[in-house]
Amino acid sequence: MTSSSNATIYDKVVRITHAYLGPAANRFIARQVKNHLHKRPGDLSPADLLHLIDWIRVAVSLLTEDSEVVERYIAELQKLAHSYGRQTGKN
Amino acid sequence: MIPTTNSVTPTLKTMRRCIAVAVMYIVLIFILPANHGTMHYYHLSAVGYRVVNVALALPTIAVWFAAFWGYAKLREYSSAIARSKEGPQFDGLASGCAWLAWSLPVTTLSAFLLNGLANKWPAFHNSAIIISNYFALILPLIAFITISLAARGMIGKSRLNMDLAGARVLMAIFLAGGLAYCFFIFRHLDLNSLASTNNPYFLPAWLMIISVIIPYLYAWFIGLLAAYEISLFSANVQGLLYRRALLYMVSGLVAVILSSIALQYISSVVPRSGDLLFDYRLLIILVVRIVGGVGFFVLAIGASRLKKIEEV
Repeated sequence: MTSSSNATIYDKVVRITHAYLGPAANRFIARQVKNHLHKRPGDLSPADLLHLIDWIRVAVSLLTEDSEVVERYIAELQKLAHSYGRQTGKN
Repeated sequence: MIPTTNSVTPTLKTMRRCIAVAVMYIVLIFILPANHGTMHYYHLSAVGYRVVNVALALPTIAVWFAAFWGYAKLREYSSAIARSKEGPQFDGLASGCAWLAWSLPVTTLSAFLLNGLANKWPAFHNSAIIISNYFALILPLIAFITISLAARGMIGKSRLNMDLAGARVLMAIFLAGGLAYCFFIFRHLDLNSLASTNNPYFLPAWLMIISVIIPYLYAWFIGLLAAYEISLFSANVQGLLYRRALLYMVSGLVAVILSSIALQYISSVVPRSGDLLFDYRLLIILVVRIVGGVGFFVLAIGASRLKKIEEV
């Protein structure tokens, strides 16, 4: 397991996703990155995050009709995106 | 979503096989010699006898379709995650379910065929009962061993341990059921002469114990254990949406295992006679079969939901 200080943005997205998709989380995020962003999972950058979140919302909405769960998951990802936004702003 | 050729073909192939065995069953009903004892007892004509058999076959065939669909869907999911860490365990579950699904038509068709031959050649009656009883034992035994190995692998990889309370409940259920089973079986056996075959199973008592009672008890124990371990895995796995889908699959699988155990239990405690009898045994067997069919159906829904997670 990657420690939180060394974790890449991809690892952090997978960690949030793990709470919703369990063992399928890594495969799910890797697929979204490859299919929709046309990148390798390791090349995911903070600039891709909002675009990725949009695709994740679409994909997860196909898996469940429970909008509360979808919104909670997306909110966690957006919080992550904002934390990177703040960091970029500081830099 | 447009299904890919790879995902559809195995299920279609499986369902074609199910159609083939269903057609074979209906054909056998019409070509095998009728049981004159049953026809006489229920005042049935030759046509009436076959119509009654077809009517009884319909729910059974519906259960076969659910069973084949269930294992095909589980196989699709296990193929989709074949390279993942949990892939081999789900592959084992799919194989076990396939054995269980095939055990339904094989057991029914073999018993029907053998009884049909016994109706033509009455000297074959005892052999027909013995062979039918072994068919009813062997396929589910293989299925339970396969499912049990997969369940053990799931628990091992997740580093979960069986809790003491769970183990006690499982043992209590197994002991109560096992002792009752032995009691019911021994009532039919002539215990004064272990070599006597004068019983409804047409086997000497020592052979019944070694080749029927012990394998059944073993199969039921590992079947119950597998059901418990799979439930434990599904209750502890992370991922809210994954767990919801897995819960369907596991609930279905547990219902399938329990119904299979119940079918084997009833079939051996109330011995086969080779005749068609409209009694409580037939009714209970039909109800238990339908429960198993519903289990396979729920399993298929769960497997489809899990597979969808791997597709979107």
